[in-house]
Amino acid sequence: MKRILKAAVAAVGFASLATSALAEWTPPGPIKLMIAFAAGGGADTQARLVAEDLEAKFGWKFIPEQVTGKGGMNMAMAMKDMPADGTVIGMGASETLGYNMRVANAGVAPSDFTAIATTASFQMGVVSATAKGWKTWDDLKAAAEAGETIRFGVMSPKLADLAYLLGKAQGIDLNIVQVRGGKDVLNGVMAGDMDVGFMAGIQAKGVASGDLVELASGLSKPLKHAPDAPTLADLGVDFNADGYFTFFGPGGMPAEARDAIAAAIAEVVTTDGMKSNGMVTKAFGAPDVVTGATLQTLVEAEYEAAGKLLEAASE
Amino acid sequence: MGVGDYIWMGILAVFQGPEAFSLFGIAVSITIVMVLAGFLLGIMVGATPGLAGPMAMAIALPILISAFGFSPDALLPVMGFLIGVMKGATVGGAVPAILFNTPGTPDAYMTTLDGHPMTRAGQAKKALKLAHVSSASGDTFSDIVLILCAPFLAVLVERYLDLPEKAALLILSLGFIASVIGNSVGKGLISMGLGLLAVYIGTGEDFYPRLSLGTQTLAQGFPVATAVLGVLILGEVFKSLEDLWYDARANKPVTEPAQSGDQRLHWADIRRIAPYIARSAVIGTAIGALPGIGSTLAATLGYASGARRHAKRRPDAVQFGKGAPEGIAATEAANSSVSGANLIPVLSLGIPGNAAAVFLILATESIGGFNPGPGVFRFTTESVNPELVAAFGLFTTMMLANAFNWTIGGVFMRVAGVMVRAPKHILLPIVLMLTLTAIYVQEARMSAIWFAIGFGILGYLMRRVGMSPLPFVIAFILGGKLEDTARQAFAATGSDPWFLFTSPVAALFMALAVGFVALSLRRHRKGPQ
Repeated sequence: MKRILKAAVAAVGFASLATSALAEWTPPGPIKLMIAFAAGGGADTQARLVAEDLEAKFGWKFIPEQVTGKGGMNMAMAMKDMPADGTVIGMGASETLGYNMRVANAGVAPSDFTAIATTASFQMGVVSATAKGWKTWDDLKAAAEAGETIRFGVMSPKLADLAYLLGKAQGIDLNIVQVRGGKDVLNGVMAGDMDVGFMAGIQAKGVASGDLVELASGLSKPLKHAPDAPTLADLGVDFNADGYFTFFGPGGMPAEARDAIAAAIAEVVTTDGMKSNGMVTKAFGAPDVVTGATLQTLVEAEYEAAGKLLEAASE
Repeated sequence: MGVGDYIWMGILAVFQGPEAFSLFGIAVSITIVMVLAGFLLGIMVGATPGLAGPMAMAIALPILISAFGFSPDALLPVMGFLIGVMKGATVGGAVPAILFNTPGTPDAYMTTLDGHPMTRAGQAKKALKLAHVSSASGDTFSDIVLILCAPFLAVLVERYLDLPEKAALLILSLGFIASVIGNSVGKGLISMGLGLLAVYIGTGEDFYPRLSLGTQTLAQGFPVATAVLGVLILGEVFKSLEDLWYDARANKPVTEPAQSGDQRLHWADIRRIAPYIARSAVIGTAIGALPGIGSTLAATLGYASGARRHAKRRPDAVQFGKGAPEGIAATEAANSSVSGANLIPVLSLGIPGNAAAVFLILATESIGGFNPGPGVFRFTTESVNPELVAAFGLFTTMMLANAFNWTIGGVFMRVAGVMVRAPKHILLPIVLMLTLTAIYVQEARMSAIWFAIGFGILGYLMRRVGMSPLPFVIAFILGGKLEDTARQAFAATGSDPWFLFTSPVAALFMALAVGFVALSLRRHRKGPQ
């Protein structure tokens, strides 16, 4: 009895310690939120809405800052030596810590950063404007085979490699145009500067209204809004663009700070009625939250696996 | 969603925005309050010799962002305030020019030529009223042209210009700006080249940070606030401090001649100056629509054209330079009509043409949700394009500022005369401190302050050798866009190295770019002889 009591007391004590750590950790000052996505795009809006929700819910103060370019590597390098006390965090894509960091070869690895939390997984589609007249991937392929030049918009080096492999697998020529973000791909496709492009969720509104059409899925699984569109694997590409919008911070962040921020982010993006939840649900179907150590393992695995895609694309 | 719906939503966005307070049960939106506050501040700043609209805009921006946040809701109040400052400063510049023979802003220099003689003749109040009517007319006309032209220009660009043409258009704009700003093409090109060099440090799509000399401090590039505020504001402050050192005139007591006679503005007066206002408004608007030329040249051209007409038509009346009301009208209508038209390239192409436009672009970049450029004017029918609503909201704030200008602008202009007594030796250090604070608030690291001071010294040196810092700033803002567009055009054309010359339109733009520089060189070589 005494032992059980002791254990119970210990458990309660431990639990209260854990929750108090969660509840009591507050940022020692305003949090600098670095955003690796172009201002005004879907991902940028998402990051700012998360910050707004956190301000409203927890009373933390955020100072957002755009650090775009090089697939999030600019942000990662800028953040690397900043204070790891939870006052500096950034939002990028999981591929920033994975493929992009591997390619950059800038002397850093995911272990130099602290993965905090994801908010949503990409709805990466190969999207064209309805006005273009293509209804399926085969229509695009037929146009390319008939001699039409196809401009393919991408927003990261990884996607550029995937687009290259896609063209190669399908035996067609694609002029791959790299821009700063999904918003720019969307604008380029709408304005006719590009014929087709990768979009990670920003297309949801246009697909729903009939202005855009998803020709293929860039993921390992079919898209939520176009379940019949072929996946990259169906089209002969062994790689995919699976990934998450990911918050991370400088390396060596105390677990207490990391877990408090991760729990706070998870809470706002999964709570009905919060602005970020509404936005994520609309664009990506549902929030998809992976936090802390699990996320760290996930990005480190992607970093290790990046070599294969790199090798395939450089052939 | 038709065009009418968008216009109506834009108007509603201003008037039904978040409520500031309610007056007799009617909610007054925060945007309206901010436009008014900006406008009044603008008049005061414009009326203060040594301060200018862009300085107030630069210092106000970080304060506004921290007050209103960075959500799309903040866009209209913040932009409304900045637009108010821009318009107020245009009107305010005439006040010390007329009353004390000291232009409050550089573009009001021509106003002193006729405004001050009127003051000496005891007609100061009338001169101020004339300046107000002319300025407000020119400004309103210019805004109407902006509202009518910007959407069409944007739609045209979006429909007919492909990536290579867009890259060529940016090169053309830069070439044009470098050759028309200031009085030397060579200096303009150097200023622009320095701007491009500065913006290309640490940026780019390659994973290796370029031009960083191996340091992590430079690998992130220069923050845009440090370069723009450093060169434009700190450079100006350093130069003014030096001028103050040499300038004994600042200590001379200001005298006010006794005022007498009929100070009212009669219908006959307005009829007399109307043709001058009309001509100058057209001249100012046309010049404003071209990026980089600016309000000082508009004022000079408006004045010169007015003077020619006046000497021919009414040789027996008071001539320009002797206290002619028409002279004030011609100048003020011309310099005021630049501000609206200057936003045509900003909103339809994302290309800033003057310092005020640079700060408007910086504001949109910090707030997000609104990216000036052809994408703004996409009239979607199925879904709502929020950027287009914001654009019409901005137009509404401009018309609102004009309404304030017509109704209460004149009264505040007359009050603003006291600002000439604001001591420069106290004002300038305050501006210096506020600017550095503004930069630190945005960047929050000491290296940003050092960068800014470095750019300030660069701005000072440029002014010392008679080089305009504006091409530097515009190149800094457009450099990234130019590189992106050129890279995309290169990729989109299947890696064609001649992508700037293969399509006729792009080739034409390139030829024009070279042509402008060559023509300006010739003009300047002939000029001094």
